[in-house]
Amino acid sequence: MNGHGYSSLPPEKSAALKRAVRLQWISLGVMGLIIVAVGLVAGQSQAMRTAFVEDLLALLPPIAFLLGVWRARKGRSPKHPYGHHRAMSAGHLVAAVALLTFGLSLTWNGASALLSGERPPVGVTSIAGYTFWAGWPMMIVMSLTVIPSVILGRMKLKLAEELHDDLLSADADMLKADWSTALATVAGVAGIGFGLWWADSAAALLVSVSIVKDGVTNLRGAVGALLDARATPIASQEPDPVIDKLREAALEEPWVEDVAVRVRDMGHVFHSEAFVVPVSGRPVDARMIDRLRDRLSEVDWKAVDTVVVPTADLPEDVDEG
Amino acid sequence: MRWIRLLTAMFAFGLLAGCSEPGYPRDPEGTLLRATDGELVVGVSTHPPHVDVSDEGEVSGPEADIVNGYAESIGAEVVWVEGAESELMEKLKLGELDIVVGGLSSDSPWATHAALTRPYGKTTGPDGKEAKLVLATRLGENALLSNLERHLIDEGLEA
Repeated sequence: MNGHGYSSLPPEKSAALKRAVRLQWISLGVMGLIIVAVGLVAGQSQAMRTAFVEDLLALLPPIAFLLGVWRARKGRSPKHPYGHHRAMSAGHLVAAVALLTFGLSLTWNGASALLSGERPPVGVTSIAGYTFWAGWPMMIVMSLTVIPSVILGRMKLKLAEELHDDLLSADADMLKADWSTALATVAGVAGIGFGLWWADSAAALLVSVSIVKDGVTNLRGAVGALLDARATPIASQEPDPVIDKLREAALEEPWVEDVAVRVRDMGHVFHSEAFVVPVSGRPVDARMIDRLRDRLSEVDWKAVDTVVVPTADLPEDVDEG
Repeated sequence: MRWIRLLTAMFAFGLLAGCSEPGYPRDPEGTLLRATDGELVVGVSTHPPHVDVSDEGEVSGPEADIVNGYAESIGAEVVWVEGAESELMEKLKLGELDIVVGGLSSDSPWATHAALTRPYGKTTGPDGKEAKLVLATRLGENALLSNLERHLIDEGLEA
């Protein structure tokens, strides 16, 4: 039970966290470049300008992650007796709201442009003495932005599972939203070239559906975690397997008759409470409780902060087991 | 939502495959095709020294020269329609006009009604600041817009 900041993470998880931090700095740099490139080719096209604003929203999850990790690194203290892990949940809420805003903005812009019959003007552009239709650089730049978004998104999703990090998972969803929107823009601009003025808005509307859905799922998850909902694996509604493991580990002690476990997600790690009913007539001393607590803390790296509460009757509505 | 991605990708590739066809970009309403070797309907709002209309209905000034030169390049005959700027912009939006000229500047608030071209020249605005002069074409008629802009570039008309 030494330290409750990230000093308490097992070495391979600490390494994964370091990789995640480096990945976020890289993605901030890459996204900065993309934003500049899109801004340069955006021109008068409203669709491209919207894409530009939405790209700015995609910067929020990495920033929230870096701030969250910086905060969560601090150990626990009398002032913060549970540590600072919740910073990650707060960051998840920021990322979820950014994702939902992105999706709703896309839906709104697509629907209103479609309903009012807005016809996007795309003229020509001159680069180094060559004149060509401005749709081409838009399509090329938007296609190129897909590549880093897909790669970074996959890397983040892998780290999200490894670190039990909902914020990284929301960030990966944001990157997915980013590249699907970019593909929709490519299809839309190509359609505009064929005289299909509605193509851009229709394509944006099509992809906005899944982005709004991801945003809502993440928002529910983030709010759930802040309301101390039962811990779940990343992007899932099911109870986390750690809950079962804690229950089984407690029942392995010969002096434990019955157990109820409640686990809340603090962001990366859990805070778990195990209520145990001793076998009747069996004396329980403080050392047995400490031993049980050590045993429970070792079932999973996320269960590092676990308390054991001996009780005669299990509290109601804490554990369904 | 995998099918949405698949659909988007197929849509994109289908369109890209067709890009080798001539006439890209195209006009949703086919304005350039109609005007070529036909009539180009141009709204004009008096704005000396950029464009002026005499009592006899003769249109003159640098913008008239640009329009006449462009019409010649596509073999079109110019049909001039005189009016106030706001009235012409409404007509442009409704598709009754193809182009509007009248000393418009690039920061004019008509982006909801018209596609403004790239600037063809400079002037000094009423506030003493430099303003870029543009022409206006019907929104979404990107073949016409692109064709006219190419003409401006070819003639060396740039801000």
